[in-house]
Amino acid sequence: MSRTIGVVDYGSTGNIESIRKALVAAGAQVRIIDNACNLSGADKLVLPGVGSFAEAMRQVRERGMFDPLISAAESTPVLGICLGMQMLARVGYEFGETPGFGLIDGEVRPVICKAAIPHIGFKQVRTIGDSPLFRGLASDAEFYFMHSYEFVNYTDVSGLTIHGEHQFVSAVAKNHLFGVQFHPEKSRDAGIRLLKNFVEL
Amino acid sequence: MRVIAKLDVKPPYVVKPVHFEGLRKIGEPAELARQYYEQGADEIFYVDIVASLYRREILFDEIRRASADIFVPFAVGGGIRSLDDISRMFHSGADKVTLNTHAVQQEPDLIDRAARTFGSQAIVINVEAKRWDGWWECYTDCGRERSGKDVMPWIREAEQRGAGEILVQSVDCDGRRAGFDIELISQVKNSVSVPVVAASGAGSLGDIVAMARKARPDAVAVSSVLHYGLCSIQDIKNALKDGE
Repeated sequence: MSRTIGVVDYGSTGNIESIRKALVAAGAQVRIIDNACNLSGADKLVLPGVGSFAEAMRQVRERGMFDPLISAAESTPVLGICLGMQMLARVGYEFGETPGFGLIDGEVRPVICKAAIPHIGFKQVRTIGDSPLFRGLASDAEFYFMHSYEFVNYTDVSGLTIHGEHQFVSAVAKNHLFGVQFHPEKSRDAGIRLLKNFVEL
Repeated sequence: MRVIAKLDVKPPYVVKPVHFEGLRKIGEPAELARQYYEQGADEIFYVDIVASLYRREILFDEIRRASADIFVPFAVGGGIRSLDDISRMFHSGADKVTLNTHAVQQEPDLIDRAARTFGSQAIVINVEAKRWDGWWECYTDCGRERSGKDVMPWIREAEQRGAGEILVQSVDCDGRRAGFDIELISQVKNSVSVPVVAASGAGSLGDIVAMARKARPDAVAVSSVLHYGLCSIQDIKNALKDGE
């Protein structure tokens, strides 16, 4: 099993330390990756999730990781968390229109509903299909959400969640590429289990 | 409704101020954070209540230690003055940050820059409100300093600038365990559309349920009731569910 997980550090954004700890708890060996040269040393990659779309993409480009990450994703499993999931999309609209990695088709738009935004708190995920990430998890397992934008996708949905009256895509999966809108690193045992599923893929 | 355990920290101890003064030593941050995490807290707020007051550096190692075993969101505040401070917090175990003194007294623009860099969802505005006749004033430095700013316009401004959440504390009610300033929390809730976290004043489950029913905040943050063993996080969750 290939357990060395590279956590991509874009620069000033990302709750790197929380992700690192949770992956370790899930049985991974963690390597923090802050430049393109180190990408090859990881069996799998995690794109972490605290930051704004425009700023995170800017930092990725500044560190020369944009094209190398896309190349790496051809064969390396990737898990995008929150903003990291959104960055997999073709384009994002947080602080202007910014191209994403375009690895999973879709676009990132503001969550629009009557309930409070940002959407913050523990919610259930209704899984669609049989994503390996959710194996062994109870159907009423709850995950922690903290976001104002959502991944609008019609083709690779593996999870749906409801905030107020609004349903949005909370997980996507396409071959060896995965994205979750919630924070598994902040979702107690259920989150660690999900990360373990990724680590053990 | 989310139930948050709030740790007021004067490193190396969690303390509990009464009216934001008269500190009482409660225990160690890491131990209490873990205890409340195990009780089922949805989040932990860690506020270094003397960093701004003493104008000293943020103690990142303390944050790292306190957040080590916590797999729910860990919000950190106290003494933040720059984007670099926030970034270092994220590298020390924080998932979001709370801003007050520096943003209120010197650089409201810090909110805009922080939201642009880290996203609104990671930026919590910590309001220390002091009630006057017909209005509330923003206090800073753990309830010591006046700002002259009216709370309601300030939180609307903070929301405009990109704040993603408002933590409402009351200088008058904090630590007294005699009930919340419900009117304050209601007005804050009605003034903004971002989530509101109500704090200050819980002395019993009844106080929490009464406040939740009237003010309808998105979350409640408690400290004294937990510290003094008056109830557990689970008790609060059950009471809130029954009270709905």
